[in-house]
Amino acid sequence: MNIALALSPLLVVGIGALLLMLAEAFSTNPSRDLAGTGGTGGLALGATTVLFTSAAFACTVWMVGVENVGDVSAVAPWLILDRFTLFFDITLCLGGGLASLLAGGYLLEHRIDRGEFYALILFATFGAMMLAAAGDALTLFLGLETMSIGAYAMTAFRRASARSAEGALKYFLLGSFAAALLIYGFALIYGATGHTDLAGIGASARSAGGRSPMFIVGALLVLVGMVFKVSAVPFHAWAPDAYEGAPTPATAFMAVAVKAGAFAMLLRVLVLALGDAGWTSWASGWPPVVATLCVLTMTVANVIAGRQESVKRMLAYSSIAHAGYLLLGVTAMMQNPAQGIASVLFYLLAYTASTAGAFGALILCGSFEREAVSYEDLAGIGKRHPAPALAFSLFLVSLAGIPPTAGFFAKWFIFKAAIEGGLYWLAIIGFVNSVIGAYYYLRVLVFMYMREPAAGAEFARPMRSGYVTAALLVSAILVLALGLTPTRYLDLAIGAATFGNG
Amino acid sequence: MPIEQYAALSGLLFIIGGVGFIVRRNVLVQLMSIELMLNAANLALIAFNRSHVRPLAGSAGAASALPSHTGQVFAFFLIAAEAAEVAVGLAIVLALYRLRRTIRSDEADLLKN
Repeated sequence: MNIALALSPLLVVGIGALLLMLAEAFSTNPSRDLAGTGGTGGLALGATTVLFTSAAFACTVWMVGVENVGDVSAVAPWLILDRFTLFFDITLCLGGGLASLLAGGYLLEHRIDRGEFYALILFATFGAMMLAAAGDALTLFLGLETMSIGAYAMTAFRRASARSAEGALKYFLLGSFAAALLIYGFALIYGATGHTDLAGIGASARSAGGRSPMFIVGALLVLVGMVFKVSAVPFHAWAPDAYEGAPTPATAFMAVAVKAGAFAMLLRVLVLALGDAGWTSWASGWPPVVATLCVLTMTVANVIAGRQESVKRMLAYSSIAHAGYLLLGVTAMMQNPAQGIASVLFYLLAYTASTAGAFGALILCGSFEREAVSYEDLAGIGKRHPAPALAFSLFLVSLAGIPPTAGFFAKWFIFKAAIEGGLYWLAIIGFVNSVIGAYYYLRVLVFMYMREPAAGAEFARPMRSGYVTAALLVSAILVLALGLTPTRYLDLAIGAATFGNG
Repeated sequence: MPIEQYAALSGLLFIIGGVGFIVRRNVLVQLMSIELMLNAANLALIAFNRSHVRPLAGSAGAASALPSHTGQVFAFFLIAAEAAEVAVGLAIVLALYRLRRTIRSDEADLLKN
């Protein structure tokens, strides 16, 4: 019973996903192949309810205290149930819930109103939560695959669109290539140490076997597989295409939940399996590799994002750039474990709210059945439709890192952790990059408020959807709450920054 | 056969798969290359399982030292996950073929910078 309470966030999403799939299969939906007339609206509500309930369960377990709900060692080492897991449960359910709210409006508008989408969101969120809890290479791989397979299918969801299929193909090929690298790496590590559980690998890494060539090659393959999944440059090639091709709610889901799941995996593996003094030193460990990736990711993604003409693709590159800032926090973790991890957790929460909101505003501003919105399409929208434009501005300001929004404090804590860890030059590069990044976010604002549409151009007419509006409201409240009382949430993140229940 | 030979074979398979994925442009061949890489991981897991005989938790003494089947069990899960992945992958390839009449990954070029 107690273990059921500790596992309740996972159980709620898993059982909810199965029930939702059943409900979808047995519902007689007359609008199946006709123009969407609201057949699956209930499913969007159902998926959102399941995910927010799961988040509420995670909050409850957090407040009761994981150590008080009973013996969680029954699922060890497969799943680790600690505050870190709970924090990710909340973040992932929030991201998934916002994505299903967005889907509730978007799928109808674009006439791909099919209920499978919500089941896919739930299963993919389940995979991401399992990934965040994984303490063994086996559960890690299963969680990763559950998450990724759902995301591949969601990317290809616009079946009549060649762009959607192409984005899904690229995502699938590179994603499964990365998974193959990751799992072969774990196989080699298993050969070198005899362990597949991360803590056991970590214990062996400290001993003599931790420096055998097989272990080093294995660790390298695992690292490459993981940075593929977090879309760090130069392993980012799939990300912009998959993000642009996917239906926008799926893009929001990938940018938010899939990325958070991947970072949970990265943190777990780096701390538990490769967290000893040798592997975390500058001379002989992973920090220089991660720091190089971090600089490359921030710089390349920011420069390319500034050159985009499609706002959706710009947001795709911006999400890669944010992976760069997050990697800065991961690098800081080496000198300054608690601060580094806490800053990454806080950043992920702030980034989830801002990004889901930005994609939601993009959905709202896109005119009927068109979705690749260019900067010109947004011209003048600030005057004609002030409310969606205001929401879009808030989320972009947060992504750019301007106070008093969540994004500002998220960046602040990351840079602070880096400086306290002695990584001055990395913090400076990060700061310069966030200034470069502000350019393309503010460019959207300039178009919305200061430009008039070209003569004769079609006006973008915001759609009306209760679901999208609800998603925007939730994200806006979160962005402001995280921006106005950041220390409260940072304390929660610091509480979540220790692994295990110690 | 000693473990080293299995390990070498699995390494060889992995490299063939990896090179195949990178140099070939036919999506189906790329899919097969990924399968080859995953099977190399399976082979490695099963082979290494032989060299890691540990006492099971709860059993005492060397007499009851049974092989822990971590690697072999892992391989079973891997096979199932691979099957699910390929099912989705082939569906995506079919969707692309219907729309573009091609299964070459270099001809899927609608999305660019």
